[in-house]
Amino acid sequence: GELYCSLPTPRNVHFESINMKNVLHWSAPDGTGDGVLYKVKYSVYGVGKWIRKLECRNISRTWCDLSSETADYEEQYYASVKAFLHGMCSDWMETARFNPLTETKIDPPMVSVSSTEKSISVILTAPEKWKGSPEEESISLAQVYPGLQYNVSVLNKKTKKRWWFSVSNNTLVVPWLEPGTVYCVSAQTHVTTPLLSSAFSKEYCIATLKDKTA
Amino acid sequence: LANGSKIFHFGPCRISMSMNEIRAGFAAIKANIQGRDPIRTVSILSHPHSLHRIKSSEKCCIIHHLFNFYVDKVFKYCTTEDSYINRKISSIANSFLSIKRNLVQCHNQNMCKCGQESTEKFKQILTNYKGLNVTSAAMKSLGELDILLDWM
Amino acid sequence: GDALLPAPQNISIISTNMKHFLTWSPVTIQGETVRYSVEFQGEYEREYANESWIPICECSLITTTMCNMTEDISATVPYNLRVRAETGTRRSEWGTLKGFFNRITTYLTPPLMKIIADGYHLLVELEDMGPAFQFRVLYWRKGQESKMQQKIVKEISSTLHLDTMEAGTEYCVKAQTYVEAINRSSNFSEMQCVRAQG
Repeated sequence: GELYCSLPTPRNVHFESINMKNVLHWSAPDGTGDGVLYKVKYSVYGVGKWIRKLECRNISRTWCDLSSETADYEEQYYASVKAFLHGMCSDWMETARFNPLTETKIDPPMVSVSSTEKSISVILTAPEKWKGSPEEESISLAQVYPGLQYNVSVLNKKTKKRWWFSVSNNTLVVPWLEPGTVYCVSAQTHVTTPLLSSAFSKEYCIATLKDKTA
Repeated sequence: LANGSKIFHFGPCRISMSMNEIRAGFAAIKANIQGRDPIRTVSILSHPHSLHRIKSSEKCCIIHHLFNFYVDKVFKYCTTEDSYINRKISSIANSFLSIKRNLVQCHNQNMCKCGQESTEKFKQILTNYKGLNVTSAAMKSLGELDILLDWM
Repeated sequence: GDALLPAPQNISIISTNMKHFLTWSPVTIQGETVRYSVEFQGEYEREYANESWIPICECSLITTTMCNMTEDISATVPYNLRVRAETGTRRSEWGTLKGFFNRITTYLTPPLMKIIADGYHLLVELEDMGPAFQFRVLYWRKGQESKMQQKIVKEISSTLHLDTMEAGTEYCVKAQTYVEAINRSSNFSEMQCVRAQG
């Protein structure tokens, strides 16, 4: 059985999730300096047992990657952390119920831009769901969120005017542009249900080709 | 801000649901409501099998049953001491009632067929519900609203 | 005992573009500050929760004669709304809005819209009216109304690209709002036309 645990519990135990890479984070117990060790367990909501995360046993860091244990986004999860110091222990401290589908943050899309004399083409690629190893099959977040679309901004560097496009497939062609002009493109991933939005990507700038006839 | 409404087509039956209004209401109370449910080992909606296993042809039937279930057996037993929480529950309950009305029309026009699978699944949900005392069962069911919304 | 306060009168709801405000006439008592409290009752409460009423804390013991009900009237069902007056010691009967209020009756105004021609590009700026609103934007080459095109705008960002225009031609645009939650649209905005370069 467990010892009588008088050590304060770890604080702020919560999941941080990006593209469903789900990492448990916490802060050290109040008033404890160095030397605190931790162990972690997790459970699937509605299923009976807690499961120990062996790779996060007696660790001194204050995070633990539970991505593979929480990879099924049709399920919801709890995780819990216990602290040890100088032979003393704390009680377990649990997360709130974690729902990867609605609580993950999503990255901006990958953006590739090309140009002709009078147009630019933008190809957008949705971020991928976290996977355990490169050999695993890639799953695009567009498969996870059927309503996934993009908001794209195009800035004319000469006129400083910015236009916005809402794109539901993954290509955008903007014709009838000025030759020999730099355009900068930035894009955001956007899901309507559940409501999720990424930050905007960095700007990708490209110049339309010079007018050969001029 | 996007709109997040969803239109469900069950055969010729068309039901519009402002999902994000309901999701926003639930998100505002999720931590509070789920925090009142200490039982990690049992799920009302997902035990023993997830809703995701149900054939899409029987989706309308389960949704119809579940909206009745929430309106008849869940919201009314979830009154809390927190007026803000109660207002959000009222908002969700009235949205469910509005959708339930539309679902009843689909059901009456015979476009919401119930097969054995959905009937069995709903029976299991009622069994799970009756396995707890009313308040715990209602609070747990309300805390599982995102399971229903995510599946829909 | 203390005579009852008179109940608030002229209770009405002002609902425009899915924003709903309950208003009433002030109750005046010489030398006393009169405060008001507001409650609502949805169809769910009437039919499934013993006709219970729900208080709105932002409109409890307020001195103004208006209450923003928008966040609480968030379902398309009939609501009952009521308000009562109170001073330190005395309280009035509830004054109840005559008839139900359903947000389906909200007044939808045409959207504020600005059209821009930037070279050969037709752009539109629309006001952000909140998450419940989509916009239906119709645009056509002047004189070719039969070839009218449509764009449904679900997300407001500042300058939205509509389409490219043929050199030197004039294009016209009009827009209306659409609210999915109540399945209704506003009237169209005034038509605006611009000319492409060239």
